[in-house]
Amino acid sequence: MTCPPDPGRRAFLSAIPVLTAGIAAPARAADTRSPHWGMLVDTRRCIACQACTMACAMENATPEGAFRTVVATYAVTTAEGATGLSIVPRLCNHCEKPPCVEVCPVGATFKREDGAVLVDGDRCVGCAYCVQACPYDARFVNHETGKADKCTFCSHRVEAGLLPACVETCVGGARIFGDLHNPESEISKRLKEAGNAVSVLKPEANTRPNVFYIGLDAALAGRVDGVSAADMMWRPDHQGG
Amino acid sequence: MTTTVEVLGFARGPDWLPWAVQYFFLIGVSCAAFFLSLPGLVWRLPSWRTLSRLALLAALISGLTAPVALMADLHQPGRFINFYLHPNFGSWMAWGSFFIPLYVGSLLLYAWLCLRPTLLRLAQRAGRLAVVYQRVSYGGHDNRQAIGLAALAASLGAMLLLLYTGMETMVVSARVLWNSPLVPLLFLSTACVGGLGMTLLVAALAGRRDVAPALNRGLALALAATFILLAAWFAGALSGQASAAAKALTALALSRVWATTGVWFLGTAAFTLWLAVRSPQSLWSTALLALHGAWLLRWIVFIGGQSIPRMGSTWFDYSLGIGPDGLLGIAGSLGLALFLYVVLTGLIPWDERAEA
Ligand code: SF4
Ligand code: SF4
Repeated sequence: MTCPPDPGRRAFLSAIPVLTAGIAAPARAADTRSPHWGMLVDTRRCIACQACTMACAMENATPEGAFRTVVATYAVTTAEGATGLSIVPRLCNHCEKPPCVEVCPVGATFKREDGAVLVDGDRCVGCAYCVQACPYDARFVNHETGKADKCTFCSHRVEAGLLPACVETCVGGARIFGDLHNPESEISKRLKEAGNAVSVLKPEANTRPNVFYIGLDAALAGRVDGVSAADMMWRPDHQGG
Repeated sequence: MTTTVEVLGFARGPDWLPWAVQYFFLIGVSCAAFFLSLPGLVWRLPSWRTLSRLALLAALISGLTAPVALMADLHQPGRFINFYLHPNFGSWMAWGSFFIPLYVGSLLLYAWLCLRPTLLRLAQRAGRLAVVYQRVSYGGHDNRQAIGLAALAASLGAMLLLLYTGMETMVVSARVLWNSPLVPLLFLSTACVGGLGMTLLVAALAGRRDVAPALNRGLALALAATFILLAAWFAGALSGQASAAAKALTALALSRVWATTGVWFLGTAAFTLWLAVRSPQSLWSTALLALHGAWLLRWIVFIGGQSIPRMGSTWFDYSLGIGPDGLLGIAGSLGLALFLYVVLTGLIPWDERAEA
């Protein structure tokens, strides 16, 4: 499938002279090659404060109860009886082989040249087939718009030379966003340094995610064999907003 | 042993709603009922004549209701035109959007061609609608060649619909309950159960107990095929040969709601099989039980399949609301089917005894 032209590229390049410190990572990508955006989540630095969850919700005006990113949090008790907190910040993986793109009957979901998997809101019929096909539960149908919704790597911000809202807001610096094609980018260097310690969610799904993790507990990389405390908690779908 | 409690996570609700269950149910029922209409109306086997006419009525009622249920499941129904303006032929759903009009269009043509002589006879009886019947009968010819061609097109459409509905579900590897090569076959066998059930229901409403033995024989065969396929699914899951099925079975067995629903389905399906064999004259009971079974299998597959967590540990605890996305949706599509039944039987005598 052909990707639509990227009108934002020019805007992105023209924004470079006014870069701030916070946008250092995307700026380095502005060479002649097309960038390929990716994210590295260093779970060792995440304090599960959910600032990214909130920043994303505010930036993208997601409906109540629907999230594009969330930091799933687990209490893991070992055989010895020690309990600790494990976390997995989750978002769309902007997969290299995205099953959501294959199934979309009208080609509304597409993978852009810069690696971002996006939804053409004018074309989407709201059939939710992409929602079914995503192995990561990264998509949902936005009941305010009637269209498929998901993380866009904050494309509107990146095109303006800014970092995604979750990255910008991350207190611990756990989310690193940048150009995977550029060996000098922060993300490329960190991935290289980490070597075998880097993992992705559900590698067996063969989707080749562009969101990478350092320090991820393997037991939390997919369906987690555990009990949920959700029923004991406030849930907008049950208790109402 | 390590134990894990998901302290903070979320479950996405099902985005394929009861409307989708209604669509998959009704379209399967229609295709199967259509095939039952062929022996009497195309091949003109005298012993099938009554049964086939009733089956055609069953096919029309469900075939005309199904696309409405499908449209209702789209969150942007007004944009359905995009299916034709921007088709992505790598997606089974895109193919489906072409198979539906092929089937429904040729089914309507086939029904009209079969009914032309009846319409002419109605026109000849003096009445307020005589002119309309006269016009619609378009000469009232019994054109066997045209009927054969329309039946061929509808058969192709029906086979493609049965294929795509199964494949569209099967290819979703992200849903462990759907991702089995047995799913399209189970949809096919239970479509036959539903098609026979709908024809039995129409026969029951017309008081035609004479067609019950043949329909119940078919129902017993379709249910036996369903049990063989289910046995194969369970064998694959329990032996670990089918990893998606194994995961689905483990998950569903741990859910009280879905385990109970599964046992209820198996129990009622076994009872339906027993009844169809032991009491071939049954009309209402086997009709309703067959429709219940075909519908419930799709409910388990779609709503249960979407409830199993893909990430994390949180189940989506589905409860059927009373709004348009829940009970009202189900009642609405059944209401439309009832409306079509009333209109079609009010305008056309489907039972030859009434026509005589
Ligand atoms: S994570 Fe899901 S929505 Fe995102 S690209 Fe991969 S399959 Fe598509
Ligand atoms: S919901 Fe929209 S983006 Fe998703 S498959 Fe359907 S048309 Fe495509």
